[in-house]
Amino acid sequence: MTIWKTIAGIAVSAILIGSAHAQTQPEVIRFGGFGQGFGQPYGVALLAIAQGKDFIADEFKGTQVKLTFEYFTGTGPAINEAIANNRLDFAQYGSLPNIVGRAAGLPTRILASYGYTTVFGAARPDLPIASFKDLKGKRVAVAKGTVLHWAFLKALEQNGLGLKDVTLLDLSTADQLAALAAGSIDAAIGTSSLLALRDKGVVKIFYNSNDIGPKAAGFGAITVTEQFEKKYPDATRRVARALVRSAAWLGQENNREEALQIWAKSGVAITALRAEFDGVALKNVFNPRVDEFLVSQYRDAIAFSKAQKLIRADIDLQKWVAPDYVDNAVDQLKLNADFPRRDESGRAAGS
Amino acid sequence: MSTLTPATLDEVTPRARAGNAAHPVQARPLGRSLVLPLLLPAAILVLWQSAASFEWLSPQVLPAPALVLDTFLELARNGDITAALAISLHRIAIGFSIGALLGLLTGILLGVSERVKDYVEPTLRGLFAVPSIGWIPILILIFGVDETLKILIIAKAVFVPLVINTAQGIRNVPVAYREAAQVMKLRAVTRLFKLTIPASLPAIFSGVRLGLSHAFIALVVVEMLAATEGIGYMMVWGRKLFQIDTVIVGMLIVGALGYALDKILRRIETRLSTWTPQHGR
Repeated sequence: MTIWKTIAGIAVSAILIGSAHAQTQPEVIRFGGFGQGFGQPYGVALLAIAQGKDFIADEFKGTQVKLTFEYFTGTGPAINEAIANNRLDFAQYGSLPNIVGRAAGLPTRILASYGYTTVFGAARPDLPIASFKDLKGKRVAVAKGTVLHWAFLKALEQNGLGLKDVTLLDLSTADQLAALAAGSIDAAIGTSSLLALRDKGVVKIFYNSNDIGPKAAGFGAITVTEQFEKKYPDATRRVARALVRSAAWLGQENNREEALQIWAKSGVAITALRAEFDGVALKNVFNPRVDEFLVSQYRDAIAFSKAQKLIRADIDLQKWVAPDYVDNAVDQLKLNADFPRRDESGRAAGS
Repeated sequence: MSTLTPATLDEVTPRARAGNAAHPVQARPLGRSLVLPLLLPAAILVLWQSAASFEWLSPQVLPAPALVLDTFLELARNGDITAALAISLHRIAIGFSIGALLGLLTGILLGVSERVKDYVEPTLRGLFAVPSIGWIPILILIFGVDETLKILIIAKAVFVPLVINTAQGIRNVPVAYREAAQVMKLRAVTRLFKLTIPASLPAIFSGVRLGLSHAFIALVVVEMLAATEGIGYMMVWGRKLFQIDTVIVGMLIVGALGYALDKILRRIETRLSTWTPQHGR
C-alpha cells in the first residue's frame, strides 16, 4: 500500500514537474532599445548584435518563444513609459533614464552592461575652444536628463569647472546641430553624431571621452523586469548567455567591420561609428559584466541625479543589480580572460 | 506632443460668426451657472481617482490626484512655478502683442481695401496653411534657439486668427451701414472709427480670443522643443524625469491660465460693446 502510494506520488509529481517545465518559457520576449532618431527598426551597442547575429534566437532554438525588438526614437523616457505600460521585458537604455525609472518605482533589474559610448564635445570653429577649460562662460547645449548630462559634468569637474561656470541649454541632437549652425550656442556635448558635422566643417571636435577613459564615457544597461526574472528564470539565463556570446563575438577584432555594418542599419553614418571606436579594443568596451566598475559608475550617476534633483527617491543599488546571470554565463562559456571583473577605475581586478 | 492645427479660413470663420450671434448674453440663475460648469471636472476627478485607486494604470503612468496636488504645492512653494510662469507669460505678452497688433492692422487693410486683398490674400492663405511647428526648423537655423524664435512663433500663431477674423468682421458690416456712411459722406477716418471697427468688434474679439488660445499652444510647443525654462519646458522635463505628476501640474496650470485670460478678454469685450452703440439688434 505504502509502496503504491509512493509510486503514485512520484508519478503525480513527475507529471506536475513535466507540465510546469512546459510553462517555464514565455510565449514572447519583448526587447526594447534606444533608437538613433532616424526612425530605423535597428539599434546599436550590444543588443543590436545579439539581435542581428541571432545570438538570442539561437538560445531559444527548439522552443516556441517569439522574440520582438523595438527601438525607440524617444530613447530613455519613452522606454521607461513602455516598461511602465508592461510592453517590454528587456530594455537597453542609458544609465540616467535607468536611474530615473527605477527611482520612480519601475521594477527593473540591471542584467548587463551594453558597452560604453564615447562622448564628444563640438564647438563652433570660429571660437577659441580647444579644451573643456575654454568652455568657461560659454553657452553649451546638452540633452539634459541623459547620460550625456552626467558625462558633461564629469568632464567639467575633471577640468576644475562646474555647472555654474557655463550656460547650459537643454537641446535635442537635431536642434543642437541647427543651433550650432545658427551660432546661438557655442558648443554641444553629444555622441558620435557630432562627427558628421565635423566632416561637413560646421564644427570642430575639442573633446573625446576616450582621452580620459571609460570613467568619462556614456554608459547604461540592459535591464530585465522583476516580474519576468521571477517568472522565467531560465529564459533570463538564456538571454544573459546570449548577451555574453554577443559580447565575445564583438570582442574578436576581425568582426569589427561586420559589427559596424549592423550598427549602421540604425541610421548612424558608418564613418561616425568607425571613428567612435577607433583605437579602442571592443573587448574592453563591451565587457558585459555588472562588476565593481559598472556599479561605481551607477553610484556616481545616482549621486549626480540626486544632487541635480532628477530623482526624488533613493535607490538601493545592491538590490537593483543582478550580476550573477552574466557572471555565470562568462564562467560557463570560459570567457573569464576576455571579460575580467573590473575594479572601480575600470582596470581588470587583480592585474 | 500636441501639434498645431493650421488655422484656415474655413475653420475660423464659422466660429467668428458664432461669436457674433451669441453676443447678447441672457441672464441665467446664478446657482446654475456656477454649478453646471463644475460637473464635468468633478466627474473627471472621480474617474481619475478611481483609475488610481483601482490601479487601472500603473502609478508611474497615472499618478493619483493627491500626489499631483502635493507636487503642485511643492513646486509652488519652492518658486519653480512662479519662475516658469514669469518667463512663459513674458513670452506670451510680447508675442501676443506683436502678433495681435500686426494681425489687426493687416486684417483691417484686407477688410477695407479690395486691392490689398487681391494682392496679399492668396500669399497669406498659403503661409497660414503651414502650421507653426513647420516653421520651427528653418526659424531655428536663422534665429537660433533664443527668445526671438519663441516670440516669433507665438506672434505668428496669434497673427493668423486675428487677420482672418478682422478682415471677415469688416467685410460682414451690413451693406445698409456702408451705404449710409456713403450718403453721409463720412471721412475715411471717421468711418473707420465710428462704423467699421465698432460694427466688426465682436468678430475681432473672437479673433483675439482665438489668437490667445493659439498663443498658448504655440508657447507649449516651442518651449517643449527649444527651451530651458518656462511652463512648457517644465512639462517636457517632467516627462524626461518620468514624473508624470509634474506634467499634469503643467497641464492644469496652462489650462487654468488660458481659461482665466479668456475670461478677462470676455470682460473687456463686454465693456467695449456696451460702450459702442447697439446697431438696432
